[in-house]
Amino acid sequence: MNQTNRIALVLLLGLALLLPQMAGTYWVTLSTQMLIFGMLALSADLLLGHAGLFSLCHAAFFAVSAYTTAILQVRYGVSGAAAVPAGILAGTLLGTLFGLSVRTRGVYFILVTLAMGYIIWGVGYRWTALTGGDSGITNVPAPALGDLKVTNASQFYYLVLAVVVIVLIVYQRLVSSAFGLALRGIKTGEPRMRSLGFQPGAHLYTAFVISSFMASVAGVLYVYLNRFVNPVTASLHNNVEAVLMAIVGGSGTLLGPFIGAGLVLGLRNWVSTFFELHLVVMGLVFIAVVIWAPGGVVGLVRRLMSPAGKEGQS
Amino acid sequence: MKSFQSKWMKRAGTALALAAAAMVGTATAQTKGPIRIGVLAPITGPLATPGAEMVDGMKMFWEMNKYTAGGRKIELVTADTTCNPDQALTQARRLALQEKVHFLIGPLCGHEGPAVAQVSKETGIPLVLDPAGADTNTKWDRTPSVVRTAVSASQISHPFGDYLYKELGARNATFIGSDYTWGHEVAGGMIRTYKELGGKVNKVIWAPLATTDYGASLAAIPADSDAVVVALAGVARIRFCEAWYNFGYDKKFKLHGGYWLHEDAIPQIDARAVGLISNSVHYVAGIDTPENKAFVDDYARRYKKLPSWFAESSYTSGLWTKAAIDSINGNVEDRAAFLKAMRTVQVKAPRGPLKLDAYDNPIQNVYITRLQKVKHPILGDVLMNIPVKTYNNVSQFWTDKPEDFLKRGPYKP
Amino acid sequence: MNSFILQTFNGISYAALLFLLASGFTLTFGLMRIVNMAHGSYYLLGGYIGLVVAKTTGNFALALLAGGAAGALLGFVADKVLIKRTGEDHLAQVLITTGLAYVVGDLALKVWGGDAQKLPIPMIMRGVVELPFDIVYPIFRVFLTSVGIAVAVLLWILYRKTQIGAAIRAGVDDREMVSATGIHVDRLFIIVSALASFLAGFSGVLGGAFLTVYPGAEWEILVFALVVVIVGGLGSLEGAMIGALIVGLLDAYGRWLLPEMSYFVLFGPMAILLLFRPRGLFGTANMT
Repeated sequence: MNQTNRIALVLLLGLALLLPQMAGTYWVTLSTQMLIFGMLALSADLLLGHAGLFSLCHAAFFAVSAYTTAILQVRYGVSGAAAVPAGILAGTLLGTLFGLSVRTRGVYFILVTLAMGYIIWGVGYRWTALTGGDSGITNVPAPALGDLKVTNASQFYYLVLAVVVIVLIVYQRLVSSAFGLALRGIKTGEPRMRSLGFQPGAHLYTAFVISSFMASVAGVLYVYLNRFVNPVTASLHNNVEAVLMAIVGGSGTLLGPFIGAGLVLGLRNWVSTFFELHLVVMGLVFIAVVIWAPGGVVGLVRRLMSPAGKEGQS
Repeated sequence: MKSFQSKWMKRAGTALALAAAAMVGTATAQTKGPIRIGVLAPITGPLATPGAEMVDGMKMFWEMNKYTAGGRKIELVTADTTCNPDQALTQARRLALQEKVHFLIGPLCGHEGPAVAQVSKETGIPLVLDPAGADTNTKWDRTPSVVRTAVSASQISHPFGDYLYKELGARNATFIGSDYTWGHEVAGGMIRTYKELGGKVNKVIWAPLATTDYGASLAAIPADSDAVVVALAGVARIRFCEAWYNFGYDKKFKLHGGYWLHEDAIPQIDARAVGLISNSVHYVAGIDTPENKAFVDDYARRYKKLPSWFAESSYTSGLWTKAAIDSINGNVEDRAAFLKAMRTVQVKAPRGPLKLDAYDNPIQNVYITRLQKVKHPILGDVLMNIPVKTYNNVSQFWTDKPEDFLKRGPYKP
Repeated sequence: MNSFILQTFNGISYAALLFLLASGFTLTFGLMRIVNMAHGSYYLLGGYIGLVVAKTTGNFALALLAGGAAGALLGFVADKVLIKRTGEDHLAQVLITTGLAYVVGDLALKVWGGDAQKLPIPMIMRGVVELPFDIVYPIFRVFLTSVGIAVAVLLWILYRKTQIGAAIRAGVDDREMVSATGIHVDRLFIIVSALASFLAGFSGVLGGAFLTVYPGAEWEILVFALVVVIVGGLGSLEGAMIGALIVGLLDAYGRWLLPEMSYFVLFGPMAILLLFRPRGLFGTANMT
C-alpha cells in the first residue's frame, strides 16, 4: 500500500474516531449501520471484485447469524459470549453448504445464489416456530461480555469500528496475498489458471466460505444494532443491495463497499426526508456512477487525485 | 477551521439552551414552541396506497382543527419507512433524536411495529402505534411507552367466528388467509371462535402474499365445504376475486369475507360481489352515525373517494392525541403525563366510542358488513360496506380474561 | 383428477405468460450477453400504458400494441443511452439497469399510484368455457395460452427458418465469428433487443389483465424470467419454452399441493438442477 493510500486511511480513521464527539446519537447510529452494511458489502465483494462471482445470497449468512444469536439470547437465555460465536458459526456453516454454488459460473452462479437466498428468506418467513415469522425476534439484549456491557450508541459504534478495522486489516492481507492473486487470476482467465496447475474450484470455495464468515460477523453486529431481526433481513432487496453498494463504492477496493453503503443508506435516509421520489434519485445516482465513475466512487477519487499535473514531469 | 469551530459552538450553544429550557419545567404552554409529531408511513413501497391514506387522514384531521392542540401549534414531520423494518427503525431514530419530535405515530406495516417500538424503548419517546396491528404489540411484547389507537388483528375477527356459525350457518368451512402475521392472526381469531361454537374447519389454505395466480389456491378447496371464508390483504384481494368469479366458484360455494373488501379495493372488485358479507372490521364507510357521515363526506369532498379503515385510523389518532394533549394543557414534554392522558381519555371517533384497555389497546365496536350499492351525496353511485350487525365494545381478548388469553400464545398457522 | 387437470391448465397458461417475458430475455442474455435488470420495467411500463389505453379506448388489441410499443421504446432508449455505454462490463450493466428500474418504478408509482389495478378485458373474454372433466375455465386464460403458443411458433420460425434467425443463432454461439463474416452484429442486436422489449411490454398488458398492474411487478416477474431462462439455458429459444412450462407447472402444482412451501417448490429444484447441470437444460457451452 503506497504512501497516499496510507495517509488517506489514517485520516479517515481519525474522522471515524471523532464522529461521536461531533455528531448526535442519530448520526452515530446511522454511521454504525453504514459500517455494518459496508462489511456485508465487503464480504460480497471478496467474491465479486476479486473472484468475479456475483453473489445474491450474502444477506442469507447475515440473516442466519443474526437470527441464531437473537434466538439463543432471547429464547434460551444464552449469554452473549456464547451466542456471538454460535451465530458466526451458523452463518459460516451455511456458507460451507452454499459454497457448492461455485460449481457454476457467470450468470448461472447469480441464479443459483439467488435461489439459495430465496430459500433462506422463505424459511425465515415460514418457519414461524423457530423464527417468529414476519414478526421476527424482538427484545435482543444489549451486547455484553460477562460484566462488560455496551450501554450507549457511541460505545457500540466504537465496538463496530474496531471490528471493521480488524477485518479490513486481515482482508487487505488476504487479497494482496498469493491467494488473492490466484482469485483475480481466476476472474480474468480461468482456463489459463487451470493450465498453470491451479484448482480454481478449491480457491473459489475457500473464498466463498471466508466471505460467508465475514457476512456472519456483520450479521451479529446488525442484530445488536437493531435489537431485533426479521425475515426482511434475508430478502432479495438486501441481497441485491449488498452487491450494489460494493459496485457503487468501487468493487475490488478496500473502502469501496463502505463508501457504497454510506452513499446508499445516506441517500435513502437523507433524500427521503425532503423528496418523495428518492428512489428516482438513487436510480439516477447509480446511472451517473456508471457513466462518470465506472470504478465506483473510489475509482472516481483515484482518477481525480491521479497526478494529471505531473504529466509534464515524466 | 473557523467555520468548524463556530458550528461546534452553535451546537454546544443549542444544547445548553435546550438543557436550560428543559430545566425551566412546567412553564405555561403559550410560551413553548410547536408540538412536533413524527409520522412514520410507507410513502413508497408495496403499501404506498394505505400509506398515502394514512397521511391524508391525518392531514385532514389537523387541517380541520387548524393544527392546534393544548394551546400550541402542531407540526407534522413525516418520514418514509418504505415498509421495511430497517428503514423504519432508522427513520424513527431520526425523528426522535434529530428532528426531536415529541412523540411518534405509526408505522403501518406490521413488521415495522417491533422496529419502531425498539426506538421507543431505547429513547423513551412515546409511540402511538397506528395502524400496525400485530397482536403481540399489546399482548406479549408490550412496551411501557407504546400505546395503540388502532386495532389488534384478532380483535376484529373473533366476532366473525360467532357470526359465521350462528347467522351464516356454516358448519364445515374452508378458510383462506394471507400467509403472514396479520393474515394468521385475523384468520386465527375467527377460526378459534367458530370452532368453540362447534364449527368444523374443513381446511385452512394459506396464500403467500406474492401469490399471483389464485386459480391454484381455489383448486385446493375441498368440494364438501359449506362456506369459504377469506382473510386477505393487499393485491391478493383483487386477484382472488377475479379468480373466484372467472373460475365460476361463485356457483359452487358460498363466499364470506372475513377481511378483504375494504373501500380501497372496492373499485377493482367484480360487480357480482355485491350482496356478499364482506368484512368483519372496526371501521367501514357505511357506519351510520353523525360523526361518521360527517367524516366520510369531508373525506369524499377532499379526496373524491371513500375512506378505508387506514384513513379513519390515522384521523382518529389525531383526534385521540389532540384530546390527550388538550387534557394536559399541551405539556407533551412531560412524556409520562402524555401517556397517562392517552390511557385516560375517551374519544368519539367516526368508528364509534373508543378507550384503551389495561393493555393499551382500544376497546371498540366490530361491524359485520355487507357490500351494497348506494347513492352517496357527493360520490354518486358507489359500492359501500354497510354494517348488518354490530358487536359492541369488543376487547382484544374477546371474552377471555387477559391472563388466560396470553397463556395461549399468538395465533399461528 | 379434476383438480390435477385444472392445475395443469393453470400451469400452462401461466407458462405462456412467462414465456412471453422470458423469450426476449433469453435472446438478449444469450446473444448480447447483457444483464438487464430493467427488463421487468418494460413489462411494468407496458402494463401501465396498456391500462391507460384500454381504459380510454376500450380496445384491448390497441392496448396490447401500445404496451408492446411502450416496452420497445423504453428498451430502445435504455439501449442507446445507457446500456451501450457499458460494453461487456456486467457489473456496470447491473448497476445502470437497476438504476433505470428504480427510476421507472418510482415514477410509475407517482403517476399511477400504489393500487393494484385491473386491466379491463373485452367482454367476450370475460366468460368461461366448459371443458371436459367438469372444468370451468376462464376464456381469458385460454386466450393467453393461445397467444403464448402463437408467439412461440412465430419466434421459432423466425429463429430456425429465417436468415436473421440463423445469424442470431450464430451470434449466440460465437459472436466474434459472426462479426468477422461481415454480418452487422449491431443491427442484429437492435432488432433482437427491440423484439425482446416489445414482447416484455406486450406481456405486461396480458399480465395486467390477469394479475393486475401494480408497483413492484417488475421485480417479481424479473425473478421468474431469470429462473425460466437459466433453467432452460441461455440463448436457447426452445429452452425458454421448456423452462417456462416447467416453472409454470411447478408453480401451479406446488401452490395447489404444498402452498406453504411455494417458495421452495420453485427454487429448490432449480438450485439442485443448476448444481448438477450448471448450463441449464439446453444451454450452450459458452457460459460467461
